Amino acid sequence: MPQQFQRNQSQQSDAAQSDEAQDAPMAQQSSKQADQSDALDSILDDIESTLESNAEEYVGSFVQKGGQ
Amino acid sequence: MPQLRESGNDGASQGPQEDLEQDGFARIFGIETEYGVSVTGADKPCDAATVAMAMFRPVVTRSRSTNTYLPNGARLYLDVGSHPEYATAEARDPHTALAQDLAGEQVMRQLALDAQQRLRPAYGEGATVHLFKNNVDSAGHSFGCHENYLVRRFVSLRDVERELLPFLITRQVFSGAGRLSGRGLVISQRADYLDESISSATTRARPMVNTRDEPHADPERYRRLHVIIGDSNRSQYAGLMKLATTHLVLCVIEQAARLGVESGFECCALQDPSSANRAISRDVRCGGTPLKLADPGGFTRARAEYGATGPAAAGGSSTDGGSATVDALGMQRYYAAVVARFLERYGAQVHEAMPRLDIDMVMHEWARLLDCLAAGDFAALDNQVDWIAKQTLFEALRRRHPAAAEARFAQLDLDYHDVANGTVYDSLVRHGAMRTIISADEAREAMTRPPQDTRAALRGAFVAKALQRDVRFSCDWTRLTLGSSGQDAERAEAVMLDPFETQASEDYRRLMQQLEA
Repeated sequence: MPQQFQRNQSQQSDAAQSDEAQDAPMAQQSSKQADQSDALDSILDDIESTLESNAEEYVGSFVQKGGQ
Repeated sequence: MPQLRESGNDGASQGPQEDLEQDGFARIFGIETEYGVSVTGADKPCDAATVAMAMFRPVVTRSRSTNTYLPNGARLYLDVGSHPEYATAEARDPHTALAQDLAGEQVMRQLALDAQQRLRPAYGEGATVHLFKNNVDSAGHSFGCHENYLVRRFVSLRDVERELLPFLITRQVFSGAGRLSGRGLVISQRADYLDESISSATTRARPMVNTRDEPHADPERYRRLHVIIGDSNRSQYAGLMKLATTHLVLCVIEQAARLGVESGFECCALQDPSSANRAISRDVRCGGTPLKLADPGGFTRARAEYGATGPAAAGGSSTDGGSATVDALGMQRYYAAVVARFLERYGAQVHEAMPRLDIDMVMHEWARLLDCLAAGDFAALDNQVDWIAKQTLFEALRRRHPAAAEARFAQLDLDYHDVANGTVYDSLVRHGAMRTIISADEAREAMTRPPQDTRAALRGAFVAKALQRDVRFSCDWTRLTLGSSGQDAERAEAVMLDPFETQASEDYRRLMQQLEA
């Protein structure tokens, strides 16, 4: 499975250790956080309709075996 | 608490010599996934049994049974408690097993969506079927995701219990699927229930590992290790790492048994495995909950020997007045160190036995996971580790909707596992917030294509041909049968005892010729 595990994290730390990128750790960190926060916003937008459904009914309906 | 059950010989008395010729480190992997079902938006109540029977109606029509095999070699059946279950065909590497399991998700999803269509005339157009690839329902009924590993017969059950269980209990830090419990998020879906069932005198104890004497292979040569303790993963990365690291640990244990030497894991035994399992599951900061070892002194000495001590500041271990303590991360680091030492000597053979497994990458990723967890860098892992992905999502939801009810979080926790109509997991993948390893095409292909390097290839071709010809057939893991009863003149059978065998036997050829006729 050579191509499947991307070494994103190790690449990041390699870059962080290079001389010309003294500020890279902080910059990368905040840019990663910004990306993640954008993605999370989009995800919450995606599931907005789920969030409008009846959560109690949804949860309560998942009973695999009754009467126990 | 019985950790292990087996009806037969425990193997401890068998010598390893007769098995030296066996393929050194080849292995067969299989994943059995039980699903949960529910319906929302219906005009009247629709229970799990109704949904499950609606899902299996096409299967029953075709096979006159709720137990069948598929053209990809997998087994599809309805388990007790109305759980649709899918057991992958035999795979020779973790990647293939993962692809086969994802194919199972697709098979199940299709059955669920078809059932939804069939249920709507009676239950209303809003009826929505949910198919949960998780391990606990809302009422606390627990169901499993069982991993199967073929291991050599000469490994004794005692060795497996003592040497593998501490690994299985601590690997949840990266393989746990997460669950919202009454006390908040816990790492493992199963830990609380395995423990609960053990502590109740009236409930049959649910063991963590089970080496039932059904190897589905030559019983003189193999056992089938049946791991019950694991969670169902949505994260493909977690699923792959779970299988790959367990395989490598098993290689060490097998080789030690083969040579009659110590594996290095003897000292890892825990005083109380189920309470350790539960305590780790509840420590979502991975904050160093100490494990109670059966032999702390032995562990300290062994850890020093393998150089797996690491500074306390990096997490995982600390030394206090000469008596060492170890937590889940420290235990995982120790297993990784022993495996690394083993690979220095046997890496080439392990690779040769399983060329598709990138061992260097697995070892690298294993260390990285533990480093990130020790550093508290959860953000680095939330696109790979299920329980951390949930934690990140819950925090985001709480920020946007500070007044969101607890039921909303419980709903999202379940929706993450819904492979039929769920929104959360797919959205995470779409926005790059969850890594995938198997492409959609590869999963789709695995729905009809068995692994080509095990007997599953033979089984799959047989099932495909029998279905195409609309001929009655039956299977189990080691046997293919045409015709229906003992009196049937057309009845013919082929036995396939060796899971590694891909060459057709005389019997198998005759069976296929009969189907061609």
